[in-house]
Amino acid sequence: MSMRRVAVVGAGMTKFMRRALETPKELAWLAAKGALDSAGMTLDQIQGVVHGTAPDAFDGLHMKGEYLSEGSGGWKKPYLRCYVGGGTGVYAIAQGWFQVASGLFDTALVVCEEKMSTCLPHPQAAFLTIFDNITEQPLKPNLLWIFALEQNRYMARHGIRVEEIARVSVKNKRNALGHPSAQLGAELTVKDVLASEIMAWPVHRLMVSPTSDGAAAVVLAAEDVAKRVTDKPVWIQGVGWCLDTTYWTNRDLYYPEYVEKAAWMAYHMAGIREPRQEINIAEPYDPFAYKELHHLEGLQLAPKGKAPQLLADGVFDRDGDLPSSPSGGLLGVGNPIAAAGTMKVCELFWQLRGEAGPRQVPGKPRRGVAQAWGDLMQVGTVVVMGTAQL
Amino acid sequence: MKTPKNTETRTWPGAIPLESLYTAGLGGQVFFKALKERGEIVGTRCASCKQVYVPARVFCERCFAELSEQVTVRPQGTLVSFTFSNFNRDAQPLARPQALALVRLDEASTVLLHYLLKVTDPTQVSIGAQVKMVIKPKAKRTGSILDIEGFVLA
Ligand SMILES: [Zn+2]
Repeated sequence: MSMRRVAVVGAGMTKFMRRALETPKELAWLAAKGALDSAGMTLDQIQGVVHGTAPDAFDGLHMKGEYLSEGSGGWKKPYLRCYVGGGTGVYAIAQGWFQVASGLFDTALVVCEEKMSTCLPHPQAAFLTIFDNITEQPLKPNLLWIFALEQNRYMARHGIRVEEIARVSVKNKRNALGHPSAQLGAELTVKDVLASEIMAWPVHRLMVSPTSDGAAAVVLAAEDVAKRVTDKPVWIQGVGWCLDTTYWTNRDLYYPEYVEKAAWMAYHMAGIREPRQEINIAEPYDPFAYKELHHLEGLQLAPKGKAPQLLADGVFDRDGDLPSSPSGGLLGVGNPIAAAGTMKVCELFWQLRGEAGPRQVPGKPRRGVAQAWGDLMQVGTVVVMGTAQL
Repeated sequence: MKTPKNTETRTWPGAIPLESLYTAGLGGQVFFKALKERGEIVGTRCASCKQVYVPARVFCERCFAELSEQVTVRPQGTLVSFTFSNFNRDAQPLARPQALALVRLDEASTVLLHYLLKVTDPTQVSIGAQVKMVIKPKAKRTGSILDIEGFVLA
């Protein structure tokens, strides 16, 4: 493929919180300005703007992409809103990547935002109309049903115990204690997680990420610009995404095949043959505790059904062989839907530059993978980033 | 829902006033007509992909063929997964947990979501169990997915 090399040269994010006093536009601006500042760049150096945000209903207005354009730096610029539900935060990176990789632009600003607190009585309401309006809506489904059904299927297929799932919450909420933007960092035990109430069996409250307000952004630059503005560009080595059927009930929920396909698309681009040997850090999407394990398997970073054992063995700890969600993940940092995926990309940027402070993974990691998931639980979006310019 | 108030320059209440009239579709009409009039479950088959889609659809998502071969499947199947939900759509606790089932009907390739009836506790249920569909009596059927009451353990 004759594409130009593209690097991430700046990253920024707001605090993730239950209810921000900032408007959605203001949140987007804070993150975007933070990313530009960290790159030492100004808005006039940005040629294209990509914005990602999840369902319009969260912010309570239609044309949310247009509404957010100024906050994202889109004033009088080529501006694109992209959307694949919860997968948006990583998908948006791919959208920005090919604007630069293709040669169309030398720079792109990618900004993702969500303000879930607008929704009353609860942001869950915005998810209700994603279900098939003829075969599912009349049952009055709630979003948790899907995850509980999927977690149960995953556990039953592999004989996984709920305690093994709870360890993800313990790890990620602990990791988040080192993140200045985190909403729910905590020192917990497996016992605490299992003592929290059952939302929909077998999902306990502390296995569910919070609803959040927040934004995250990165600056992308073509090779020559990247080398001019920073000594430490982090290269986008591969991108991938894949959608399975919207008839979510028809997939075998025990394994996210769409994540596997998206991962291999990105890995092939990055020249990766043995993901478990060639990737140093993972930031898999973890809106629910079991999803981190499910996604690590889809990302080919654990054999099917074996992620819980690797977790118990410490492999995914910050100082383990393959740190997973060193940021603290959605369970710890928070889950403003689209911004959550971009937060994971920001984390790879900081980790690979050695700038993650108290969260820094030891051993000078050289390559990481970030992944998000969403739509009607059918999309996998993946980006591979590294210090080497391939 | 209680109407929230304007709070001292920080917030302002509002709503998107919308209602919708959803379309059952060409495939959906076949399915719901059979359910309402005959109490039968009708799907469509894609011979080349060896898929039986239930409810009936007019096209195959895999090969894009138009599907004209209708099949009536038996109202029984296997439990693919289940859950007991303790909260409603507004994240408020329910008085009694609500049991949900994913069921693959024996002659279908696809899986239906519906209520799991007459169970109160996860220990009474296991994945792989055989289940039967409960269909409402004809006088109570309106041509909705709720013409099916749910599934019971066989
Ligand atoms: Zn077909």
